[in-house]
Amino acid sequence: MTQAMSTDTRKQLRQGKVQRGVRSTIRHLILIALSVVWLVPIVWLVVTSFSGYRGINFTTFFPETYTLDNYINVLFHPDSVAQFPQWFANTFIVAVFNCVISTCFVLMVAYAFSCCRFKSRRLLQNLSVTVNLFPGVLAMIAVYFVLRYLNLTNSYAGLIMVYAGSSGLGYLICKGFFDTVPVSLREAAKLDGASEARIFFQVVIPMSRPILVYTIINSFMMPWTDFVMAKMILNSGVSADWTVAIGLYNMLSRTLVNNYFALFCAGGVLVSIPISVLFVIMQKFYVEGITSGADKG
Amino acid sequence: MKKQVSLAMATVMALSLAACGGSPSSSSAAAADSGAAATDSTGSDATGEAASWGDVTLTMWGAEEDQTMLREMADAFIAENADKGNITINIGACSEADAKDNILTDPTAAADVFAFADDQLNELVAAGALQEVSLNADDVKSRNLEGSVEAASLDGKLYAYPMTADNGYFLYYDSSVISAEDAQTVDGILAAAAAAGRTFDMTLNDGWYIYSFFAGAGLEATLADDGVNTVCNWNEAPGADVAQAVMDIASNSAFVSAPDADIVSGITNGTVCAAVSGTWNAQVAQETWGENYAATKLPTYTMNGEQVQMGSFAGYKLVGVNPHSANVGVAMMLADYITNEANQQKRFEDRQLGPSNINVNASEAVQAAPAIAALAAQSDFSDLQRVGANYWDPAASLGQILASGDTQGKTTQQLVDDAVAGITAAVAQ
Amino acid sequence: MAEMTLTAPLRADGREPGFLQRFGHAFVHGDVFTKLSFFIWGLGYIGHGQLIKAVLVTLVQGLGLYYLGVAGIPNLMKFGTLGTVQMEMVFNPATFKNEVNDYDNSFAILLLSVIALVVIVALIAAAMAVVASNYQLQQIRQAGKKTNNFRQDIRVYLNEKFYVTLLTLPVLGVVVFTIVPLFILIAVAFTNYDQQHMPPNSLFTWVGLSNFFTLFGGGQSLSLTFGYAFGKVLVWTLVWAFFATFTNFFGGVFLAMFINDKKTKFPKLWRTLFVITIAVPQFVTLLLVRNFFGDNGIFNTMMSNIGVTDFLHNIGLLSPGVDHIPFLTSNGWAQVMIILINIWVGVPYQMLIATGVLMNIPGDMLEAARIDGANPVQMFFSIKLPYLLSVQGPALVTDFVKNINNFNVIYLLTQDVFVTTDQAMAASSAKEVDLLVTWLFRLTQEQYNYKMAAVIGIMVFIICAVFTVVCFRFINKKEATFS
Repeated sequence: MTQAMSTDTRKQLRQGKVQRGVRSTIRHLILIALSVVWLVPIVWLVVTSFSGYRGINFTTFFPETYTLDNYINVLFHPDSVAQFPQWFANTFIVAVFNCVISTCFVLMVAYAFSCCRFKSRRLLQNLSVTVNLFPGVLAMIAVYFVLRYLNLTNSYAGLIMVYAGSSGLGYLICKGFFDTVPVSLREAAKLDGASEARIFFQVVIPMSRPILVYTIINSFMMPWTDFVMAKMILNSGVSADWTVAIGLYNMLSRTLVNNYFALFCAGGVLVSIPISVLFVIMQKFYVEGITSGADKG
Repeated sequence: MKKQVSLAMATVMALSLAACGGSPSSSSAAAADSGAAATDSTGSDATGEAASWGDVTLTMWGAEEDQTMLREMADAFIAENADKGNITINIGACSEADAKDNILTDPTAAADVFAFADDQLNELVAAGALQEVSLNADDVKSRNLEGSVEAASLDGKLYAYPMTADNGYFLYYDSSVISAEDAQTVDGILAAAAAAGRTFDMTLNDGWYIYSFFAGAGLEATLADDGVNTVCNWNEAPGADVAQAVMDIASNSAFVSAPDADIVSGITNGTVCAAVSGTWNAQVAQETWGENYAATKLPTYTMNGEQVQMGSFAGYKLVGVNPHSANVGVAMMLADYITNEANQQKRFEDRQLGPSNINVNASEAVQAAPAIAALAAQSDFSDLQRVGANYWDPAASLGQILASGDTQGKTTQQLVDDAVAGITAAVAQ
Repeated sequence: MAEMTLTAPLRADGREPGFLQRFGHAFVHGDVFTKLSFFIWGLGYIGHGQLIKAVLVTLVQGLGLYYLGVAGIPNLMKFGTLGTVQMEMVFNPATFKNEVNDYDNSFAILLLSVIALVVIVALIAAAMAVVASNYQLQQIRQAGKKTNNFRQDIRVYLNEKFYVTLLTLPVLGVVVFTIVPLFILIAVAFTNYDQQHMPPNSLFTWVGLSNFFTLFGGGQSLSLTFGYAFGKVLVWTLVWAFFATFTNFFGGVFLAMFINDKKTKFPKLWRTLFVITIAVPQFVTLLLVRNFFGDNGIFNTMMSNIGVTDFLHNIGLLSPGVDHIPFLTSNGWAQVMIILINIWVGVPYQMLIATGVLMNIPGDMLEAARIDGANPVQMFFSIKLPYLLSVQGPALVTDFVKNINNFNVIYLLTQDVFVTTDQAMAASSAKEVDLLVTWLFRLTQEQYNYKMAAVIGIMVFIICAVFTVVCFRFINKKEATFS
């Protein structure tokens, strides 16, 4: 009896182990399949950027010949169409300024709405939600003319102002984070005689690393990805003035795509590298920031 | 709270806006009493009366591929006029096809001199974005091909400087697969292509190309007298038969309706042996097919058992001057300069662009270029490109339907009826 | 109401008076300086011994009035007609320049008038606030106390009124770059601003509600109106927003649970693999994918090589005349592909969020359920999903609105590629795959039909607003019943 049971259990155990092994294999096979689906376009981007053929490759996934020329051209031989180093510099400048201003704005608004108490708080919050409901592309033409009257079209200052100007509206996630900062901490600081400004800078900000990282990454990435607004504002037609996004988008226009597709891919890879590095390193903070914000948002 | 916010608001607004407030009317030109100094500009043939131009900065837009060449032309212009003024010319990239889109958003911010395709002329004139040519107009008219001058004119006034005469489309093919005789008819091309296991490509879902079938059958789509709307009679006989003929072609397995980029890659990888397209893709074909490259007028197609010669839009590229330019006179001189005989010659030599200049066009080298010869042969069957803004989307839609063969249960007559209804709809709804 | 004591320490009589009341009271009971300060802001502060403040506020007021005098009022006078003088240009061969008459630019008039109105409202509100603040100063002095000097005032703005310091610049930015443009575009919906009426060359003017009538079926035949296209585009916009939001949400949640499961090895590696796709800028991947799935693109080549294209022909999903799979070029296929590609784009991002939220689920809750013998499916539906929804409910609503306005995905995937076969839509330059925002974008960029674009924009706003209000009502009610 006991003998039978033990073999039974052993059998069960073994079966369980096998089953678990099979399940685990299936689980990981699914994951591999999913990652392949997700990585195929990225791989295509990377291999095409090394392609010896400059147009779109329609017949084979992997290019027939490999070369580094696309990267060399994109980095060291700018022509009238592809001025990548210049674009990179332009975009970097815009991104840095936008990053600083936007991050400040977001933190300021979020702190005011989260930690300060004043009469028009509700009203302003509701207004900001309402304004967010209007489609941004519609206001674009009017934004352009506002800039024209400020004499700021075709200038990075104008572009930065447009990006950063409305950034205060994106305070929600950050406010959600500030809401989680214990009130007692602020109260204690206040009892020690600290002013609101001091609490903001010395108590709340140091505790907000995740949301800081999240806000910084988001605002830094904005100029790298927006082409609609940038194209409208930087309308001199001089390609050296463009940002990376306008330039890359332009490479795919009808007349250019057959000569510049591989270059486009190389440019795309080059833009993605710093962002990926930033992202992978900051992933932890990013997740913390966004989720703590969403938790109470 | 409100107080301070609004205070600050007022400050910055006032600071930033006061400086440039007021009516912006004087932004572009010396504001003067319009009556006082007005001269009859239409007929005058003045040439550079202003002795000194002073400091002049101009922006010039041209196609991306032309940038180097334009820079050389601009530098030559500066050198030639060094005695008249201190000229600076900035060159920007804006393809001729997109010029209208980039200019009309804000004509006052657009370049002083720009190149554009002739189909945009009426919209640009309507928006006040083209300066009437008032210097050297007669010379410009006399030195360019008649068709190109017509393309640059509206209501008898010359609005632009003809630059090239090669912006139309024609047939090019691999003569190792298709004989010159086969190339005369669509049927012949398709049969030869099918025999070789290759394809004949053309973009059907584009108002520009689909026009050729209807125009060939004697139907028209052209600008109405108001200069804005389109007149179109594709729904009259034999419009429905044309639609059927196009569907028959599209359903042939050797025919592919593909956009430009696909045609180019098809040529390079050997699947395409004949295509209807323009000079911009012909170069690739020439490189790929080498000696076997051949170009000719568009073929005939079969409609109701009869052969119909395909028509086409004659295409020209023009150079326009922005009336909002602060130095409109110098801008006109520049536009004139970059389209003169010597520079059209240079265009042909540097970039194989077909000249609109009569003398250059007549030269042996130009006449020997297959693409230009093909366009010249096609010119007997081509019309000036003058359609309203509402032409493009409905025509493209019709082309897409015919190319896909899925008529959504409509008869061909209904298809062309609906297309015409869209094309002729009043622009301002 | 506790918060009020911070901002109004002066009133000891219980209820807080409103802004208007306070102003009225101050203006009636104020001394001559207080009253004067309504007209010249600085006078009150001079009278009440605050010199630096007096100079500063007068400067601000001066600038505001200067704008009104130079640009605001002259343009407001033309606001009723939006200008009457058409531009005329004549070339003068002697000067080599064009001579222009003193013409009206309708758009400039509209823009500067809207700004003028904003400035006027701001100036009046500020003047009232100045009076109220002067009355406070007056009362302090009457009570024999000392008023703040400038340094003390600054300290107030770093402490009790810190929010003012914080909000001033961001609010200003939003007003200039969001609110003013919105007002202008709302106004444009009531004008005839289109290609026939484009400043600076032509004038446009007010036309009342006629654009709205056009949208809702005014016109000769129904098929040719914007109404038809609007209806179809609206339906697809809502369908898209629904699928885009929920596929991404659940896709993200499942992926996160899958990766974070204890049985999965190397969770960090997997997560990083998916996160890499976020790091490539969206427009790069979308343009790339568009070419990837092109009619003669690489994916079509692969499909036809392995026989999928033939298979689709055999089962009748592809009409025999078509030798490729029209992933992004044919109605039906394109919609499905767009949603699938959007999953590709959005799921990694949602996965990150879901990972974080799921980690925050209180462990004891899960433990208790496990002890009760709940299986994973039950745990998901009874604990994890409700928790996720309660945390992310509001985010889902905002995501839905964002998807209604999701310009990039649709525009980048379909522009220059998709040609509509619906001839009635083509007549209004709409496509089956258009969202309202992409349609209105193309109306402005290709047709310069700003008036209709503005009308559509207002419609988008109304739809989003109604949806948001209803959803938040529902969420709030739910929360109330839960707690």
